[in-house]
Amino acid sequence: MAALTDTIRRFAAVEGDSLRVAAAASQPFVAVDPQQLRVEVAAGASAQLVVVHEKPLASSLSLLLERDARLQVTEIFLAGVSAETEAVQASGSNCCITAVLLAGADASYRIDLDGAHAENSLGGLFLVDDNEHCVLKLRTNHRVADCSSDSSVKGIAGGSAVGEFRGLVYVAPDAQRTDARQQSRNILLSDTARIVAEPQLEIYADDVRCSHGATVGQIDAEAILYMRQRGLSLAQARRLQIEGFAGDIVRRCGIGELGEALMSAVARKMGNM
Amino acid sequence: MLSVKNLHASVDGKEILRGIDLEVRAGEVHAIMGPNGSGKSTLASVLAGNEKFTVTEGSATFQGQDLLAMSIEDRARAGVFLGFQYPVEIPGVTMANFMKLAVSERRKFLGEEPLSAAGFLKLMREKSAVVELDSKLTSRAVNEGFSGGEKKKNEIFQMAMLDPQLAILDETDSGLDIDALRIVATGVTKLHTPQNATVVITHYQRLLDYIVPDVVHVLYKGRIIHTGDKSLALKLEKEGYDWLINDYKE
Repeated sequence: MAALTDTIRRFAAVEGDSLRVAAAASQPFVAVDPQQLRVEVAAGASAQLVVVHEKPLASSLSLLLERDARLQVTEIFLAGVSAETEAVQASGSNCCITAVLLAGADASYRIDLDGAHAENSLGGLFLVDDNEHCVLKLRTNHRVADCSSDSSVKGIAGGSAVGEFRGLVYVAPDAQRTDARQQSRNILLSDTARIVAEPQLEIYADDVRCSHGATVGQIDAEAILYMRQRGLSLAQARRLQIEGFAGDIVRRCGIGELGEALMSAVARKMGNM
Repeated sequence: MLSVKNLHASVDGKEILRGIDLEVRAGEVHAIMGPNGSGKSTLASVLAGNEKFTVTEGSATFQGQDLLAMSIEDRARAGVFLGFQYPVEIPGVTMANFMKLAVSERRKFLGEEPLSAAGFLKLMREKSAVVELDSKLTSRAVNEGFSGGEKKKNEIFQMAMLDPQLAILDETDSGLDIDALRIVATGVTKLHTPQNATVVITHYQRLLDYIVPDVVHVLYKGRIIHTGDKSLALKLEKEGYDWLINDYKE
């Protein structure tokens, strides 16, 4: 994890258990193993936040986006953490969350879209092996009209690991013209690994556009054969395919150098699977 | 370069190849023709090393080495290229990343130094021009969203990148319109040298107007039942296979 640790060291460390961003922040903030952290982004301000969990502690993260605020959050799980993240978004705000679970962690997200035209996107990736068990829970609450949410969670499980995604999009009775999407795509690397994928919708408004879906598949044997015919080893071909599967989630965090370091961390874990 | 003797191969216990003999020398172009289901694609897959097929009898040597003892990737690194009839889409894997690894493995085998980043880009540009492949496609995911013609051009582009000794092209002409066929076939002939060899598997004479074969084989029920020169392909186009296969019908 050296590249990852080196990369985040260059960011601005969050001091204490709260942070308020009043204007556009010039460089990403980073919090390592926060047990309790509250981040407020003032109206019209923007920030990037990286949260890294290296120790198996409980963590509670609260994100508050005021009107038209923008926040990009990348949360990286390197240990068996139990973490809760809550984002409350005012009108016109945009929150983009990337969650990368490289350990048997329990990560729970609750998104409250409280103001019109608030937008949330969440990209999640979990990679579990051996006897690891990880859970990614997501509840997106569309509480008012005209908000949009888009979540895409990808899972890879090998060994005897279990990966769970439990998602729920809730659309309140008055939340008309909601645009919500939730996708879960998974790959099983062994016969003994397990994936539980439950994307759900709970809709009480009648003028909405909502979709959800889940797939569980295996490594594409035809693609592996194709790559080996061009001279790649089985391990190289498998890694390339997994990186291809996971790449869009990892690279979406919006911080180029962090995306590359994360991709290497994913590849390293893959190499042992 | 390639010497195949009495090759038998089966899949799921069913024998598909029933004694193939084939000699391909450097500088030669061979065409393999034959009705559907005669074993042409199986022959290509077995030579490339697809583990789905089991070789039950016979031998194949490539440049003096026991080809059948080599893994699929080792055959590729040693210079055996298979142009796929149905190139596979690999979402999320860019052509550039894929080719970088493939070229680097090939160069390692040849004992050549790894290419610099600039050298690799230059090679990609040069070789994409061979088949008039839009260089933008090389930054896209492998074959994803490519048209039928682009997929086949992409096969020949990869062949150009890897500079194989032996290229086996499995129905590279299928699904191509006239322009794409000309571009793909011209690309293959541009890559042909006295040092390498090409085996094209095809149903149609029209590909052989561009890629002129030295030898034409007819494969039927897992055996090469007839071998001739390029005029054989013209005769087959006109008269079909019946005059050849009547003797072999069961």
